[in-house]
Amino acid sequence: MTTSTRPSPPHTRPDEPARSRRRRRSPRDRLGPRISAWVAIVVFGAFALLPAYWLLATSLSPQDQVFQYPPSFFPGDITFEHYADLADNPDLFRYLVNSVIVSVVTAVLSVLVSAYMGYSFSKFRYRGRRSLMYLVLSSQMFPQALLLVTLYAVFSAYGLLNSYAALILSFTTFTLPLCVWMLKGFFDTIPDELIEAARVDGASRLRIIHSVVLPLSAPGLVAAGLFAFVRGWNDFIFALTLAGPDKQTLPPGLVNTFVGEAQTAWPQLMAASLVVSLPVVIGFIVLQRYLVGGITAGAVKG
Amino acid sequence: MGLGAGAVGFGGLAACAPSASDDDSNASSGSSSTPTSGGEAQDFSFASWSLSEEAPKPVIEGLVGAFGMDAGVSISPVTYPYNEYLNQLTLQIRGGQFSGAAQVDVAWLGALAALGKLTDLSTFADGRGYTDAALQAGQYDGTQYGLPWTIGAIGLVTNTELMQQAGVTTTPTTIEDFEAMLRELKGLGDGIVPYAASTKVAQLKDILIWMQTFGSPLIENGQVTIGDDASIDAVTWYKKLYDDGLIAPDVDRFDARALFSQGRAVMYDDAIVGKSAVVGESPDPDFASKLDPISRPVVQDGDDPRALFWGHAIVVVDGEGSGTAAEFAQWVTSDEPTTVDFFEKLGLPPTTQAALDSDAVTGDAFTAAFSERVTATATVNPFWQFPQYAQMESAVAEQVQAVLVGSSSPADAMAAAGEAVQALI
Repeated sequence: MTTSTRPSPPHTRPDEPARSRRRRRSPRDRLGPRISAWVAIVVFGAFALLPAYWLLATSLSPQDQVFQYPPSFFPGDITFEHYADLADNPDLFRYLVNSVIVSVVTAVLSVLVSAYMGYSFSKFRYRGRRSLMYLVLSSQMFPQALLLVTLYAVFSAYGLLNSYAALILSFTTFTLPLCVWMLKGFFDTIPDELIEAARVDGASRLRIIHSVVLPLSAPGLVAAGLFAFVRGWNDFIFALTLAGPDKQTLPPGLVNTFVGEAQTAWPQLMAASLVVSLPVVIGFIVLQRYLVGGITAGAVKG
Repeated sequence: MGLGAGAVGFGGLAACAPSASDDDSNASSGSSSTPTSGGEAQDFSFASWSLSEEAPKPVIEGLVGAFGMDAGVSISPVTYPYNEYLNQLTLQIRGGQFSGAAQVDVAWLGALAALGKLTDLSTFADGRGYTDAALQAGQYDGTQYGLPWTIGAIGLVTNTELMQQAGVTTTPTTIEDFEAMLRELKGLGDGIVPYAASTKVAQLKDILIWMQTFGSPLIENGQVTIGDDASIDAVTWYKKLYDDGLIAPDVDRFDARALFSQGRAVMYDDAIVGKSAVVGESPDPDFASKLDPISRPVVQDGDDPRALFWGHAIVVVDGEGSGTAAEFAQWVTSDEPTTVDFFEKLGLPPTTQAALDSDAVTGDAFTAAFSERVTATATVNPFWQFPQYAQMESAVAEQVQAVLVGSSSPADAMAAAGEAVQALI
């Protein structure tokens, strides 16, 4: 056993509040952490935004300057022709509409089903509940290629290939398990007493879900919905395989349009990628306050 | 899981996809029927990756429209990106979702023929004037499954301006001279890569043609010969080029085109289709006139230079409209005015002797030189006869990569590669 001989910090008393002690730190003491924080922000910001900047710079560069050597951080001759070209391509608008339809419906369907499943897992106790929960999660463990071929055969047998339904159902198979677990965690944070109180007031089970639980869970529902939306928006291989030419979404559509056997139209591809990313970015900005709360809800109980 | 890995996995599984009907149970391998030409024309589908690419799309749409109008049929277009095309087409055929004509890379014939749904097009090839080499590129296991649409090879393309700057005035014929030339080209300095050879795993299958150049047959009597002295010598030489900075690390076909188009590489390997890409990406408006294909060097003077066939063929998948689809394939690949016009618009060499002899083709210096110095001695890759050819090439590429980065010796790596490829047969 050792005895500490370290002297107490000067001008502080054991019962002095921590906040008050912080106030007494000198400006030099505060400068170090602030500089470190700013350096970290700048480094991570650059790390996150550099690809987006490069995408923008490439989209504004003429074709023959894309691979110039030595590479230039700023485009030499700025051109907007690649953006103008997008307007002349009606296929891109069709891909965009298809993406919006399948992503929105996937998000709504995923949230709708997973809300009831998550509530059931969170608030009811029944035989096999835990096994069922892990069974739902285990569906995430299958290799995507295996799922794809299986889904292709099933959709082919039922005549669903080349339809929105094929895409929405296949995307939902991935989004549902994680949405269920996400929302279960959120419902766990809602006190049982609230539900009990609603029941004492005579509310039915459905009324409790719709009037008490779901409104309180809005951040979680938004987070789960955004997750499902992004999953549908970004998918490449399922959309390529199951959608057919008319229902094709943006990721395979852009590759089909701009990536060739011998050549990739990088500036046009970058311009299109930037434009079609905007709806998602705007969606995230608008809903970010829900998103952060929704994702972390249930992380710490009590 | 990366997209590439996913695609490989998907490709492997695509062949396992169930067929949609039982009608095709008699088609376990090879041809199942010969279409009846001359009957009533029927609608069919036409699959082509070029239908989504900016340059060829309007040309091919024009051809499809012209045939459809003339025959009074509707042709449904089907298109996928080139890199995903084989997997998607395989899945469509196995699932019974596709019948009609399909553009294919000649490397894919074996993989598609193994599905048992391709039509024998021998009767459609007869008397149309295809060159023997072109017909050979469309055959699998002795059967004419593909009518050749454009046939060339993968060969060495040089930048004559940089060659002159380095004082290179004669084209080397032997490996020894070739290496000496690369050392002279290295003297250009300024970071210029003498030879933008493939060094990334994705494209290291290019080493196979060098193994053949050194004398390895790759496959002989059903036995993989990789691991023999010739293949080890080829990889040892490649490693020497790598260590001496005569070839560059982390280069695939796209990187090589970028380096070459920017004047950062003096030569690289490509098919004739790559010309439009490098010319389009180059800041030099006169770049096209500086391109010159050369024969691959040989070990001994007098040996035939090795080159790998490259090209597109049209196959016909059995099913509704396959007879009309075969007539379309025949017309689009062998009708002289059509094929010459196709060459004039896209620069892709035709496959009939009459079209090759036309003024349009013979008057194009790059194509004429490419045909004479590269395509003339081209052969198919022996791996292409196996449906799993892509996995076989990957197995070799991974071992060559191990040699280049110094984690394996050429002898050990080639022995391992040979065993891996043999296991896939």
